[in-house]
Amino acid sequence: MVETLLAFDDVRAGYGSAVVLDGVSFTIPEHGGLAVLGRNGVGKSTLLLTIMGYTRVGRGHIRWRGADVTRQPPHRRALAGIGWVAQEREIFPSLTVEENLTVAARGGRWNLSSIYDLFPRLAERRRNHGNQLSGGEQQMLAIARALMTNPALLLLDEPLEGLAPIVVEELTDAIRRMTKEGSNAFVLVEQHADIALSLTETVLVLERGRIVHSGTSADLLADHAALDRLVGLRLVEG
Amino acid sequence: MLPPVFGVLFDGLAYGMLLFLLSVGQSVTLGMMNFINLAHCSFGMLGGYLTVSLMSRYGWPFFATLPCAFIVAAIVSVGLERTLFRRLYRASELDQVLLTIGIVFISVAIAAYVFGTDQQPLQLPHYLRSSLTFMGIRFAVYRLILIGLALAITVALVLGLDYTRFGARVRAAVDNERMARGLGIDVDRTFAITFALGSGLAGLGGALSVEIVGLDPSFAFTYLIYVLIVVSVGGLGSISGSLAAAIVLGISDVAGKYYIPQLGAFLIYLVMISLLMWRPLGLLGKR
Repeated sequence: MVETLLAFDDVRAGYGSAVVLDGVSFTIPEHGGLAVLGRNGVGKSTLLLTIMGYTRVGRGHIRWRGADVTRQPPHRRALAGIGWVAQEREIFPSLTVEENLTVAARGGRWNLSSIYDLFPRLAERRRNHGNQLSGGEQQMLAIARALMTNPALLLLDEPLEGLAPIVVEELTDAIRRMTKEGSNAFVLVEQHADIALSLTETVLVLERGRIVHSGTSADLLADHAALDRLVGLRLVEG
Repeated sequence: MLPPVFGVLFDGLAYGMLLFLLSVGQSVTLGMMNFINLAHCSFGMLGGYLTVSLMSRYGWPFFATLPCAFIVAAIVSVGLERTLFRRLYRASELDQVLLTIGIVFISVAIAAYVFGTDQQPLQLPHYLRSSLTFMGIRFAVYRLILIGLALAITVALVLGLDYTRFGARVRAAVDNERMARGLGIDVDRTFAITFALGSGLAGLGGALSVEIVGLDPSFAFTYLIYVLIVVSVGGLGSISGSLAAAIVLGISDVAGKYYIPQLGAFLIYLVMISLLMWRPLGLLGKR
């Protein structure tokens, strides 16, 4: 039996009095990837923010390695082993690339040299400040910064959004190599459904804050009709 | 032989260093954490009274009281930060001003109750009251030590903020508090330590200032004005900006009182207005 890393049990969450997610239950095992798909504004980012502890949870429980963390503040969850790659990347502009990587680093598989192997471009830019990077480089840095905390679970919020096709390819490769390492589980929220499904083992589809489909990524990838109905077919051209 | 202007420059520099020690913490809390702490000079006053009491009542040597002034001011400030100030980090500026000005009134009342309203006597050892003569100008030993100490602290602060992991965490938390928390940085603790450091430096500045400007319960108000001038002229959150502003203002204040006594204490305000018209964000301010 595979140990459960994270479990949502009938969670209702949102901001202030607005409810964004409702009745959400799922589990994430120790290894492997979970894709979270759905149209814009269905609560995908909110799901990740709720895992991190940034939203208001009105009902239900969140468990991390069996312990209830529903009320735990974000920095405690990060220290417990959750790494977060925010949708807006949120690089620290007044820190250099290397400082961005080391500022919150914790020991483990990922260190500066293994990170620079994974993203050679960051090594070239190590002395640059966070605000001097291209969009693709910022995204690499955001992923690398989260990996440097050596999380047991990595949350990736639309890492390929708004990037040129060639950069998408480069990043997809890096994510694939990272997941092959198998040192951490990950959740991938992505608009590029085909890429997300090819990188993960299981998938959740959200609609208006509720889970409307869950299953294996391979099955959904093969079922074009279901994919079109659930997320609106979004395959990368050409 | 050097003309007397060098003596004025020297005294002004020493006075500027005092202003710098008193204000650098204010610049950091206001510029980085966006918290308006008008009670900052109350911590300076605390350091001053501590040094005077430890020396006169318990016979401590002057230099032994300085670390004490730093540590006690830091501890008291972090106590206030944890219990009162942190609740107002996201509150309006008016709320912050009202709370902290209230603390200034309370600290002034406590000082007057415990120590009376008289100027506090400070008996420095003889060697600290002596002076060296160099090319016809007398350099007071005390002021030389003051300048050296303040410069060493500036270098340590700048290097600490730019090259240590703690400094990087402070900058990260200031850049993007939410993301910093999301990476596991304990932002509350980081800010509390930063706040304590700034208040501790004010305590040290207060202890060092007794010999030069005297000490009575009005200290917390008098120097609040000077500190706010230094912070606004230097630019929010800039350590080297605060140093530059403190030196310019210290020298112009001393020079004004020496050369144009009729203008007296007003010159410092004229300098402030001209500098802010030239650079509205302060000498090294970015926002």
